[in-house]
Amino acid sequence: MASYLESEPPSPGESSGDESQGVEATRICEKMKLNQRLAAKELVNTEAKYVHNLQLCASDIRSHLHELPQGDLDVIFSNIDDIIKVNSRFLKDLEKAGSEEEQISLLGNLFLEFQEEMENTYKVYCACYNQALALVETYRKVPKLQKVIHDVITALVPQACASGLSFLLVMPVQRVTRYPLLLQKILENTPPDDEAYEALQRATRAMQEVNSNINEYKRQKEIATKYNKLEHLTVRERLARINTHSISKKTLRLSQLFKQEAGIVTRTEDREFDDLEEKFHWVALCVNELKSNVAAYLDHLETFLRIKPYECDLEMEGGAVQQYCCFTRDLHLLVFLEFKQRLERLVYHPLHHLSKALLGPQNLIKKRLDKLLDFERTEEKLAEMGSMTYEEEAIRHTYQALNSLLVSELPQFNQVAIQWLGQILNTLMALQRDLAQQVLQRAERELGQLPHSHVSDFDFRKLIEDTLDKTSAQLQSFCQNFQKVLPVPVRQPLQPAAERQVQALMSKYSPSKLYQVTSNISGSGNLALTLQKGQIVAVLQDRDIKGNTSRWLVDTGGYRGYVPAGKLEPYQVVPHDKPSMQSGSGDGFKFLPVETPRSSTHVAMPVFQVVAAYPFVARSNYEVSLQAGQSVTVLERQDKKGNPEWSLVEVNGQRDAFKNIILRRGP
Amino acid sequence: MSWIPFKIGQPKKQIVPKTVERDFEREYGKLQQLEDQTKKLQKDLKKSTDADLAMSKSAVKISSDLLSNPLCEQDQEFLNLVTALDTAMKRMDAFNQEKVNQIQKTVIEPLKKFGSVFPSLNMAVKRREQALQDYKRLQSKVEKYEEKEKTGPVLAKLHQVREELRPVKDDFEAKNRQLLEEMPRFYNSRLDYFQPSFESLIRAQMEMFRGQLAMELEIQEKKP
Repeated sequence: MASYLESEPPSPGESSGDESQGVEATRICEKMKLNQRLAAKELVNTEAKYVHNLQLCASDIRSHLHELPQGDLDVIFSNIDDIIKVNSRFLKDLEKAGSEEEQISLLGNLFLEFQEEMENTYKVYCACYNQALALVETYRKVPKLQKVIHDVITALVPQACASGLSFLLVMPVQRVTRYPLLLQKILENTPPDDEAYEALQRATRAMQEVNSNINEYKRQKEIATKYNKLEHLTVRERLARINTHSISKKTLRLSQLFKQEAGIVTRTEDREFDDLEEKFHWVALCVNELKSNVAAYLDHLETFLRIKPYECDLEMEGGAVQQYCCFTRDLHLLVFLEFKQRLERLVYHPLHHLSKALLGPQNLIKKRLDKLLDFERTEEKLAEMGSMTYEEEAIRHTYQALNSLLVSELPQFNQVAIQWLGQILNTLMALQRDLAQQVLQRAERELGQLPHSHVSDFDFRKLIEDTLDKTSAQLQSFCQNFQKVLPVPVRQPLQPAAERQVQALMSKYSPSKLYQVTSNISGSGNLALTLQKGQIVAVLQDRDIKGNTSRWLVDTGGYRGYVPAGKLEPYQVVPHDKPSMQSGSGDGFKFLPVETPRSSTHVAMPVFQVVAAYPFVARSNYEVSLQAGQSVTVLERQDKKGNPEWSLVEVNGQRDAFKNIILRRGP
Repeated sequence: MSWIPFKIGQPKKQIVPKTVERDFEREYGKLQQLEDQTKKLQKDLKKSTDADLAMSKSAVKISSDLLSNPLCEQDQEFLNLVTALDTAMKRMDAFNQEKVNQIQKTVIEPLKKFGSVFPSLNMAVKRREQALQDYKRLQSKVEKYEEKEKTGPVLAKLHQVREELRPVKDDFEAKNRQLLEEMPRFYNSRLDYFQPSFESLIRAQMEMFRGQLAMELEIQEKKP
């Protein structure tokens, strides 16, 4: 019986179901085709409208907003022109297709063709979109400019006036995200056996890929900006950022670092990145070193410019001195000053900016290391547990984004930095060249007026040497002349009372110890005497108890005390009845050659100790005065020219330790 | 040159005529100013040459630090550039050193020698002043005795004092005359003395920059 039911032939309803199935299938097929066509048409139409609006925005609206600064307009509209170009071409190709069927088969391939271009243009626009929005927002707050924007938009795009510029700017962002959706709709309504199916499928996937790439790119850019901003935080802001979350984050990182250092955990080696980082480090080192060296050079230049030898006044009109002063003043105030300013502007400031630009990447590299530690921790966890929380996924993504950003951008940065450095160095050399040229120009002019301009450098040097030798000899003679204005030891005849005092002193001490006070001495302190000028005293010791040789112990005949040695002069006792001997007639001396080979401390030649029989008055620097009975030591029996009438002797008891004199000897 | 001390109608202490004294003051004043200026010039020149040397030394540091950076090993172009800069700086330093030596020899040394005459001059002027004081003192003594009653002992004293006075007066006169002769001569000698030095100063600068420019142009031509 059961089989009765089964073996029954298909009921008429079923056969009609077959039929209806076929009709159904066709209907569905028709519907699908219709939907497909509609979707395709929607795509094409919206594309046309989109491009039209874009052009409106870019050309008309932007050109009317000339009240805004160009820089801001660039930020707001960013690379909208590129987008227009790409999409216009896309639209044109789309409209080339004749029938609708052709269009659909064209669609897929066209998208694949344009995929890369679209990705490159849209990713730039989308990355800048936030910034553009922020700028528009700030303009909204400025009523006057906001009104201008509003008016322009109302005139050109009436339906958008309510939301303002932001409505228009969001169009590309919306469009690129719609492509996958539109394509999906067409795909749904395309039978799999359709020739265009495969292309459409690939196109849909391609556009989805484009969108995710744009997202990734945007995220990278955002990370870079975020960490770049960090360096501008003040201390207070930094402190405010410390909370339990950040502390725990940092502690975890630290522990990871320790684990690596201890070898518990292997460190991820990234050769490529390490090389890049090393190069970056060298670049940074180079820039900073150069900057500080140039700063030092500028300092020295400034010091040099502050010194002004040309401001001397030797009361010499004209001539080389005047020329020199003018020349050097010009150099300092014009040529060197200009050199310094150019150096600052063209070398130091660029270096300074370059150095600042280095801070961003440096910060990012630091952050990457931190994120790497986090990443490695999550890797561990992944190995252990096989899954991650949402947070951990985020950490991984951050690290990967940062890493890929650095790897892609650092080489370029290094390259640009090195190029910049090269240019700066070239500038430095060019500046030196210019300086030399300018100085020479002026110097050549001056040289023409100098007396020896035709003389070569080498000859001039010889000439100068000779001249200087001559003038030096001249100076010597001046010096000697002035020295000849010598004190003729003026002996004033003494008052009788003083005379008696001198006699008293002479009876106690040898005449060589007698000194005369040359100027009034006022004593202060221990045992210091107060003496008048002209008083005669006898020196007991040429140093005081502390060994100070500028204070001598003297005896005035009544008192004893200390006086400054500088105010004492050796005194010659002259018997009254002897006229002063200035004429230098032959005075005889009788020698009592006492040949006690007195060992004179310095002179290692045979010396005699002689006693002067008669007094002698010196007439010049090279002669010394003697008193009768004064003992002297003969050092040489002849004078320098071999004249036996004069001898070189050494006299003790003078204020100077040795006074070599020429002594006239009699027969 | 003899001047007679006026006893009648003049203040007692006036023994040197105002004109002579004024001349002396003027000449000495000029020389004092010259002394100050030469000292200042000498100091400034020394400081200037020191600063000059410091500058070129720091320029050499710029290029040698660059040369020691590892970037030079990696980038051939950079290396060429830095080597060129280094050569330029080092040669400039050599030129500069030579210039400073030349200046030292032909300007600063002579200035020093010139300045060394002044101490002797000042001593001589002091001694003249001393002699003048002695002279004045004795002169006033003579005048004092002359005014007294001409008694025997007074006359004897007067004679004695006059005897004392004479050598002192001669001494002062001699000193005064000598200085009045020598000072203007010395002052005028500065013209002949300084001109060559300053000429040498300008030429030394020129020599250096000429050499430097030639070298730098040579380096520039060598570059590709």
